Amino acid sequence: MNSLSPEVALSRISPELRPLLCSVVRNGRVGLDSTNCLRITDLKTGCTSLTPGPCCDRFKLHIPYAGETLKWDIIFNARDPELPPDFIFGEDAEFLPEPSELPHLVAWDAGDPDCLLQLVKELLQQYHQYQCQRLRDSSRLLFEYDSLLEDPNYGRSMEIYAGRKNSWTGEFSARFLLKLPVDFSNIPIYLLKDTALDPGEDVALLSVSFEDAEATQVFPKLFLSPSIEHALGGPSALHIPAFPSGGCLIDYVPQVCQLLTNKVQYVIQGYHKRREYIAAFLSHFGMGVVEYDAVGFTKLTLLLMWKDFCFLVHVDLPLYFPRDQPTLTFQSIYHFTSSGQLYSQVQKSYPYSPRWDGNEMAKRAKAYFKSFIPQFQEGAFANGKL
Amino acid sequence: MAASISGYTFSSVCYHSANSNSDHEGFLLGEVRQEETLSISDSQISSSEFLHIVEVHNHEPCAQLFSFYDYAGKVNEENLNRILKDRRKNVIGWYRFRRNTQQQMSFREQVIHKQLTNILGIPDLVFLLFSFISTANSSTHALEYVLFRPNRRYNQRISLSIPNLGNTSQQEYKVSSVPNTSKNYASVIKEHGAEFFDKDGVIKDIRAIFQVYSALQDKVQAVCAEVDQSERVKEKIQEEVKKLKEEISLRKRITAAEERRHQESLNTENHSLQDDSALSDSSSPPSLTRVLLQSPPLEVSLDWPPNSTALPLYPAAPAPPSAILLPRPQAVGSPGHPSPSLGLGNGDGSSSDSLNRQAIGQEDQLEEEEEEEEDEDEDSSEYENLVSERLQSPSLTDTAVSLGRPAALWPDGDTHSSGGSS
Repeated sequence: MNSLSPEVALSRISPELRPLLCSVVRNGRVGLDSTNCLRITDLKTGCTSLTPGPCCDRFKLHIPYAGETLKWDIIFNARDPELPPDFIFGEDAEFLPEPSELPHLVAWDAGDPDCLLQLVKELLQQYHQYQCQRLRDSSRLLFEYDSLLEDPNYGRSMEIYAGRKNSWTGEFSARFLLKLPVDFSNIPIYLLKDTALDPGEDVALLSVSFEDAEATQVFPKLFLSPSIEHALGGPSALHIPAFPSGGCLIDYVPQVCQLLTNKVQYVIQGYHKRREYIAAFLSHFGMGVVEYDAVGFTKLTLLLMWKDFCFLVHVDLPLYFPRDQPTLTFQSIYHFTSSGQLYSQVQKSYPYSPRWDGNEMAKRAKAYFKSFIPQFQEGAFANGKL
Repeated sequence: MAASISGYTFSSVCYHSANSNSDHEGFLLGEVRQEETLSISDSQISSSEFLHIVEVHNHEPCAQLFSFYDYAGKVNEENLNRILKDRRKNVIGWYRFRRNTQQQMSFREQVIHKQLTNILGIPDLVFLLFSFISTANSSTHALEYVLFRPNRRYNQRISLSIPNLGNTSQQEYKVSSVPNTSKNYASVIKEHGAEFFDKDGVIKDIRAIFQVYSALQDKVQAVCAEVDQSERVKEKIQEEVKKLKEEISLRKRITAAEERRHQESLNTENHSLQDDSALSDSSSPPSLTRVLLQSPPLEVSLDWPPNSTALPLYPAAPAPPSAILLPRPQAVGSPGHPSPSLGLGNGDGSSSDSLNRQAIGQEDQLEEEEEEEEDEDEDSSEYENLVSERLQSPSLTDTAVSLGRPAALWPDGDTHSSGGSS
């Protein structure tokens, strides 16, 4: 079952139905997980096999929901394109929404290209309610759900998938997908720019899987949109504390939220701190500055002279500056190593304190340079060759 | 539950469906009946099984989609009635045809089905789903059909059988119980029916055959009576024949016995001249001797066992109880013939005396009863054997008249009685 690229799908569908499908394929983001678009597979036709041209009018729509993918069949009739579609809800044979709850079905307007997308969204809402109904089989999970529902932070952006009950053992599983209300707007833009695709909305999703009705096996997982993940330092940003046994979501989720918020704060702070640091160095070393990263403020290169000995100092500022110490790399401009590189020495530990402000750090750095340079010079003369 | 659809209805539905360029739907008309099967076996008294049988007789296709329901799937009863007209009471289900889709009821179909169940008032409304699957290069097409029973929680799919669609060389050609609802057929039958049907709707030939049958029955009854009569007559005649035969053989015996006696008496006269003492010992009044040598009873019947074809010389007869008490014939004065082993003999005077005394006692009783002849020694053994044989032979009653009696015995009488039915 290969998913078709949007263009191929659009080319094969019957022309009258094309606008409807276009909005689904191009703009179709339903649910919390908007990084995954709706996919279309199995384009088939309801016309006789002798009908020429693009006449496909029925397909399977893949909808990401609560960590699962729903596969719904949507059935149009190419001969009657103004008629609303019919649906087969895959394996959820018991899901039967009330038509009166689907305004875009009752008042189906084939001329409106967004009609199908809206209808799918409404169906998904009904599906969500249906799944929440299924939670009633487990009082423990129902309690979790109700407690989250009451909290305005989480209640409105929640997707529940109450899994299939194992009819032999009576096991019941459920998955909660929550959107965490973390503000990513202050993250400096440069950190987000690195992704090639349109990152879409910056979102953090927490998925908590309950493998049994008594909530003894709980597996939480954090999902971040790619740009956020990069901004927060890569996959290590996805580490979250384990779910405490006997705990409940209403306590755990805010905990994770807070953790994430702290991380974001830290990153933002780090950016500002770095900027401050660079500014201070600029003012202290003035003409000695060769270049610096003016966007991310992560690098700085200085050219200094001491007793007619000129040398370069590269400063690398880490992501979690000022918690982490900047790396100083001293480089001689005269001497080469045997491999043809300029002779250099890296210094990671030197007098440093994260509590100093930028000016203080610049002054201290200057003092350190003065103390370290003779040592470096000797080393350069000894090990390098001109 | 079992369901069947006649071949022509099925092909008609398929034709309508396959020729439509979109999805197609319609109603199924027919009847539902319940069959109860009572089975009695050794292990249980009786068990009855109920089987619902759904028969599809006809179908009513809808001209277009959404003809009786709206976008929300709400059924419009007016439109429904307009489509069904007066056939509404015959509805047993509805069908839908869709190409290239799964064999599962869709959202709208379920919504409509629930409403139809309520509106039509049929609790077990069935839904027939046709799906037409084609391969990508249109080389193979498959028409699949599934009959659903959506109002049940379990066993939702029923198998639909089409009678005579299969290998009829191995199965019998089944006549379907589907009534023919065609108007043309009904009018033709009405027009030409008078030649074959009488006023009650029964085929005329059947009546004629019944009449022939009852005529034959009457004749057979009459013949039975005649046979009965002739049989009785025959029985009477046979009785007479039997009696006559008995008399004949009796007379024959008498004459034969007299002749032998005559011979014996001639022989004994010759012997008595030689040995007087023997005679004196065993002398007894001539009347006694005669009585001693009495013949076995001559109640001879001409009956013999039906299986035997040959005439026995002395037919077996039921020996009267008195035969057992009869004394054994005594060998009188014949030295050349040893006495029989029972001790009656010449040389032993004492025993013969005692026996004589016994015999005398019995003789007195029997003297008056029968006329007796003297027996020779030669015949004594024969008589002895005869008596024993007769005593052992099975007794046959006189009433056993066998029809298989050869007619040769008494030509005149038997030809009348044998094979006597006219």
